[in-house]
Amino acid sequence: MKWAKRGLLFEPRHHTLPNGCTEFAQAPQALVFDDFVRIYFSTRNRDEQGEYVSHIAFADVDTQVRRVLRVSTGTVTPTGALGAFDEHGIFPMNVVRHDGNIYAFTCGWSRRVSVPVETAIGLAVSHDGGTTFERVGTGPVMTASHDEPFLVGDPFVLVRHGLWHMWYIYGTAWMDTPSEPAPARVYKIARATSRDGIAWERTGTRIIADRIGADECQALPTVFECDGLWHMYFCYRHATDFRTNPRRGYRLGYAWSRDGHAWRRDDAAAGIDVSPSGWDSDMLCYPHVFWSGGQAYMLYNGNAFGRGGFGVAALER
Amino acid sequence: MFVWHKRGHIFDPAAHARAGWMHAFAQAPATLVFDTFVRVYFSCRPRPDAQGQYVSHAAYVDFDRATLTRITAVAGRPVLELGARGTFDEFGTYPMSVIRHGDEIRAYYGGWTRCVSVPFNVAIGLAISRDGGVSFEKQAPGPVLPADPDEPFVISGPKIRRFGGRWYLWYIAGTKWIPTDGRPEPVYRIRMATSDDGVQWTRSHRELIPPRLEADECQASPDVIFANGAYHMFFCYRYSLGYRGRERGYRIGYARSTDLTTWVRDDDRAGIDVSDEGWDSEMVSYPHVFEVDGRTLMLYLGNDVGRHGFGLAELQGTLS
Repeated sequence: MKWAKRGLLFEPRHHTLPNGCTEFAQAPQALVFDDFVRIYFSTRNRDEQGEYVSHIAFADVDTQVRRVLRVSTGTVTPTGALGAFDEHGIFPMNVVRHDGNIYAFTCGWSRRVSVPVETAIGLAVSHDGGTTFERVGTGPVMTASHDEPFLVGDPFVLVRHGLWHMWYIYGTAWMDTPSEPAPARVYKIARATSRDGIAWERTGTRIIADRIGADECQALPTVFECDGLWHMYFCYRHATDFRTNPRRGYRLGYAWSRDGHAWRRDDAAAGIDVSPSGWDSDMLCYPHVFWSGGQAYMLYNGNAFGRGGFGVAALER
Repeated sequence: MFVWHKRGHIFDPAAHARAGWMHAFAQAPATLVFDTFVRVYFSCRPRPDAQGQYVSHAAYVDFDRATLTRITAVAGRPVLELGARGTFDEFGTYPMSVIRHGDEIRAYYGGWTRCVSVPFNVAIGLAISRDGGVSFEKQAPGPVLPADPDEPFVISGPKIRRFGGRWYLWYIAGTKWIPTDGRPEPVYRIRMATSDDGVQWTRSHRELIPPRLEADECQASPDVIFANGAYHMFFCYRYSLGYRGRERGYRIGYARSTDLTTWVRDDDRAGIDVSDEGWDSEMVSYPHVFEVDGRTLMLYLGNDVGRHGFGLAELQGTLS
């Protein structure tokens, strides 16, 4: 694989965003229309307690993914009810077209006492062509259970031959870390399948091997098909000292598969890495690959987890 | 109407305190009958921490089978460990319901975690004992019945039963959190799930018992027993707010079914209510009905939802 970087595509500081959000455009996810591409992302405001809350917004760009046409002006999907799994934010949101409908798989956040947060995956449906989304139920479709005890999140869904495939992450440890202000989480990539997008069957196993040790954190898988294979990009980092230490922060990983189930990790073939300087010199994270007009594009965040926005790269073949 | 004869307040945790984990409360009694004794599992609490926060531990007390009031043993340690950091049962295991399955004893329990905008969340876990019910080991670090789109939070109050080779789980599911000047208060209702193996559950996804007091009536402890050709459910219910006193606190309700699907609520038949004075004069709650040696008995909590333990009542005749 070889990706040609085109630089920053969307900078939140250059736009007026809904919900009073001013910074962050994280985990961009595309929905392709005939004459434009809608890119959903998570941006943030602060609540009455001064804590961050992630909200979904979108930017529409041209089909060649070169310039921003417009930005959402209203709430795309509200945060959840009091006590619900997505009360304190939605980050990320993966959008899927299937059978004439537009579905969104959300990663909902709620705050905890002994650890900072718990996440779970919700489902929402759009009845207005992707401008707003309505929840399917107040609760999650995928949450902690059995051998996935916490932090189920980061869904990415493809529907193929009537089967819904979801790649997602779940937590394996909350580590005591004297160096960090709060317990540090470890999470890994897994896969589930479904016949209806609501009831999911999990395999109960991780699918991507660690590269930097057992405490490697793997996040936000994105899967696409190309030349008869399934390809996955994701991001990974060390469990601690990852926020400001560029040597321990997020990088992009890569794996390929013949069936979507068994994966071979091959980061050396990823074809994209941090730049020597600039907005993506310290960190690469939250990749999302999609096709538009016969061309594969990757959206991704750079330094500071996407505080300054997201960029785009084009696949060279 | 059933006629229950109250046999008194048979267990007070303060009289059997265990340093560090049992100071007060003996909640949600659930029985397992042995040859010479009846073991009653319950959930208890140590003193609250500096922030006034409690944890709940699962424990048991054994009663002599003939009298059902003479204590022969009390657990020396909790029967189930609290969960690891960040897991669903980190801060409590309450309530717990037990059943024999081959050589094992299974426990389904509510696991408690602490939240920020609301005080807690609950999901149902599964643990297994291979030493006759003295200690239980978790089947997995995550819950066996978590939230789902239709049951968003507070999945609790499990009661595990087997009828005709199938597993049945009665439980409660939260419907909303009501904001108040202080802590938000949850509303929860009785539901049911079925299973072939006790691990993979199919939920009925409906409330079994219509509310009677108010739209936000809270219902708990859906305890089901089969007798004389019918399924009898004793449960407890209360107002959603201001429920800590006699006026709006827990009472015991009753519903009946012949097919496990359709339940007819008829609280007038329950036959047990608060006493004029004493340990159960303000509320009665968390009923558990069981049969032993031809007797039909009920364990239940009194004032302050079991802070002072539980009592015993005996049915006159049979459940008909």
